[in-house]
Amino acid sequence: MGNKKNVIPYIGLIVIVILFSALTRGRLLSVANLKLIFNQTIVLMIGCIGVTFIMTLGSLDLSQGSLMGFCAAVGATVAAYSPNATFFTVIIVGAAIGCIHGLLHGYLKIPSFILTLCSLFILRGFTVVITKSGSLPIPFSMYSYDSFSLKIVVLLIVFMVSVYLFNYTRFGKDLKAIGSGERAADYSGVPVKRMKMFAFIIAGLLCGVCSYLNVLRTGAADSKTGLLFEIDILTALVVGGLPLTGGAKSKLRCAIIGALVLTVLTNGMVLVGLKTELQQAVKGIIFLLSVYLSFEKDNVLYVK
Amino acid sequence: MNKSDDTFLTLSHVRKTFIGTCALADVNFSLRRGEIHGLVGENGSGKSTLVSIVAGILQMDEGCMTKNGEPYVPKSLIDANDNKVSIIVQEKGTIDELSVTANLFLGKESYFSKGPRIDHKRMQHEATKVLAAHGISNIDVTKKIKELSIEDQKLVELAKALYIEPDVLIVDETTTALSQNGRDLLFAELMQLKKKGSSIIFITHDLNEVFDYCDRITVMKDGLIVETVHTSDIDENLLKEKMVGREIHHGFYRKDKTMTFNNEVALKVHSVGYTSRLQNISFELHTGEILGIGGLTDCGMHELGKLLFKLEKPTRGEIEYPLAKRQVRNHRDAIHEKIGYLPKNRDQESIMLYSNVIDNICLPSLKMLEKYSFIFPKKEYAFATEGASRLKVKMSSVQQLCLNLSGGNKQKVAVVKWLMNRTRIFIMDCPTRGIDISVKAAIYALLEDLKKQGCAILIISEELQELIGMCDRLIIMKNGQIKTTLERNEDLSEEKIIHYMV
Repeated sequence: MGNKKNVIPYIGLIVIVILFSALTRGRLLSVANLKLIFNQTIVLMIGCIGVTFIMTLGSLDLSQGSLMGFCAAVGATVAAYSPNATFFTVIIVGAAIGCIHGLLHGYLKIPSFILTLCSLFILRGFTVVITKSGSLPIPFSMYSYDSFSLKIVVLLIVFMVSVYLFNYTRFGKDLKAIGSGERAADYSGVPVKRMKMFAFIIAGLLCGVCSYLNVLRTGAADSKTGLLFEIDILTALVVGGLPLTGGAKSKLRCAIIGALVLTVLTNGMVLVGLKTELQQAVKGIIFLLSVYLSFEKDNVLYVK
Repeated sequence: MNKSDDTFLTLSHVRKTFIGTCALADVNFSLRRGEIHGLVGENGSGKSTLVSIVAGILQMDEGCMTKNGEPYVPKSLIDANDNKVSIIVQEKGTIDELSVTANLFLGKESYFSKGPRIDHKRMQHEATKVLAAHGISNIDVTKKIKELSIEDQKLVELAKALYIEPDVLIVDETTTALSQNGRDLLFAELMQLKKKGSSIIFITHDLNEVFDYCDRITVMKDGLIVETVHTSDIDENLLKEKMVGREIHHGFYRKDKTMTFNNEVALKVHSVGYTSRLQNISFELHTGEILGIGGLTDCGMHELGKLLFKLEKPTRGEIEYPLAKRQVRNHRDAIHEKIGYLPKNRDQESIMLYSNVIDNICLPSLKMLEKYSFIFPKKEYAFATEGASRLKVKMSSVQQLCLNLSGGNKQKVAVVKWLMNRTRIFIMDCPTRGIDISVKAAIYALLEDLKKQGCAILIISEELQELIGMCDRLIIMKNGQIKTTLERNEDLSEEKIIHYMV
C-alpha cells in the first residue's frame, strides 16, 4: 500500500505534462517555456526543501511568504548601498527569523501553526513599512547575477547539503524521530527543543535564498513579494506526498516532485489561458485531493 | 444450584483482544439480581476490561451478553446508561474544567431544557438535591471539579452513577481514593441499591471489603475466570491462592534463592520527595543486583522511575549516580552515562510506532554510529540486525514498521535499543506488561545475564510473582512511601508481601 502511494505524485506529473502538452499543442515543452518553468520552479523547490525539515517534525510553517517578502525588502534596501552584501544579508535575516520561530516553538512551546500564522501578519506588516507600500528596485549591476548557471549551482548545493543533512546525519534522523513519536524520541535522548530550532533556522535560511533569487528575477522587492508563497509550498509538499504528520515517511524527493507538479500545473493553466482566480481554485482543489489521498485515515481516530 | 431466573446479566464466551495481546479469553460470567458481586485478581488480569465491556466503554470481539433475558450489546457508555447500567471507573471519570452540576448531568442536559435554552438554576437546584439525597452535603455544586478533593470527585461520580437509578452498578477500584467516611457512604449506598433489587459488580484490591460486603466472588487471572464462589464457601487464604494461581509461572524465573550483589553502588537515592506523590524515598542500587520495586499502580513507583531517569526533578532530596564520569543533570546526560529507561507506556514513550525497527534500535546510539559526522544506512542496518538477533525479535525484516509488531516484539525492540547502547544501569518500568509468556521468559533470561555481567537493574512492577522470582532485594511502596525492604530468600511469597501493599 505504501509503495503505491509513493508513485501517485509521479503519475500526477506525467498526467499533467501530457494533458497540458495536448491542450497547448506542444507549447508546454518548448525550450523557451521549459526555461520559464525552471525559473519558476527553482524558488518553489528551495522553499519546499526548507519547509520539509519543519514538516518532518510534524510542525507547519505558514510564514514563508511573508518571510520571503521581508527578506526581499531588507535585501533590496541593502542592495542600494552594497550589492555584494545582499545575499549574505537575506540569508542571515532569514535564518535569524527562523531562529526566533524555533525558539518560540521549541522552548516556549507555542504551536507552530499559530506561531507562523502570527508571523505571517507581523512580517507582512514590516514588509509594507519597509517598502512604503511601493517598490524597491535593485541596482542594474545586479541583473547580471540572474543567470541560469548560477541558479543551477545554487539549487545543486542546496539539494546536496539537504540530502546530506536529511539522510546521513544525526540531525536528520532526530527530526524524523521527533515526527514519529516526540515522547519516545525525547526519552531516547533526542534534544527535541534544539532540533526544532535548527529545523526552523534551515527553513528560514533557505527562504532567504528564495527571496534573493526572486528579487534578482523581478528586479525589485515590493509589498506583495512572496504573497501566498506559503500556500504554494504546502500544496506542493502535500502533492509531492509528504505526510502532514511528519516522521520517518518524510522524504526530500517529495519537495522536488511536488514543486515540479505545481509549477507545471500553474504554467500550463496560464498557457491555456485560464483566469487567475480560477487557477487559485484549481490549486485549492488539488491541495484538498492530495491531502485526502495521502492521509492515513485508518490510523487516525479523531481529526481536529 | 439456584434457579436460572435469578440471573440478571450474563456474559458467555466473551473475547477481547487489544493489538497483539489478549485481554479476555473466553469469559463466562453471570450476575444475579440483588447481589454484590466481587471481582478480584491481580493487576492486568482483565477485570477492568470485563466491566468496561458491560458498561459499553469497550466492545467485545466475540461472545454475547444478555440482560434480563434479552440480548444486550451496549455501543457506548450512554447506550449502557440508557439500559440502566452505570459505572464508577477506576481512573478519573469527571471533567476537570466543568462544574459539579455540569458533570453530574453530563449528557442529560435535555432534562433541563426549554427549547434551546438550558435552565441552569433548576439544574443547580437539582444537583444540590441529588447530592443531599446521598448524604453528601459539603460540596458546592457551582465549583469546578478540579477544585474538589479526589475523594469529593469520586463522590460526585457516585452520585452521577446513581442518578439514572441503575439496575447494574459497576464500582471499579474506587475505595482506594476514599477515606473511611467516604467508604461508609459508598457501602451504605450499595446496600440500599441491593435492597432495591439492583446488582452490583465490585472490583477492589482490599480483600476485607470483599469478605464484608460481597455475596459472591469471581477470581480472574490472565484474562480468564478462575472460579466463581460464594463468599461463605471460601476464606482469605484460599482466595489469595486462587488469585495468585501458584501452579502457573514457574520454571523461567531465577533458580538461585540467595541475595547476591557487588559492593559498588550504581545508584544512590537520598530522601527523595516529589510533590505530594513521593515522600522520603531512600535506597541504593548496586552493580550486579536486580532490585525490585512493587506496590499498587498508584503508589508512586512509576513516578519514581521517571525521577531516577531524570525526566523530572525531585522536589526534595537527591538522586546520584556514583559511577558516572560527569554529573547527570538530565536524561540525555543519563543516556550518555549508559543509563537506560524502559517506560511503562511502551507505545507512546518507548517505541516510535511509525518508524521501522532500524530507526528505533539505532536512535539512542546514533553517536556511536557516526563517522566524520556521517551516518551510513549500511552501518545502521548491520547495527539493528545485530541487535534484533540478540533478543530474536520476530519480524519480516528490520525495515518493518514497529506498528505491525506484536506487543512482545515491540518490547524486545525497546530493550534491544538500550542493550545496543551498552547500557550498564537499567531502570525498567513494567518490563513484561502485556506481553506473552515466551517473550517474558526471554526478558527474564536476559535480566539474569545482565546481572552476571555486572549491570545494575531496577525493576518496577505490578506483578509480585515476577518481583519475587527475579529480584535480589524487593522494596514495597504504599502511598508514596517505602513500606518495607525484603531480601531474596526461600520463603518469600506473595501472601507475605501483599499486606504491605494494601
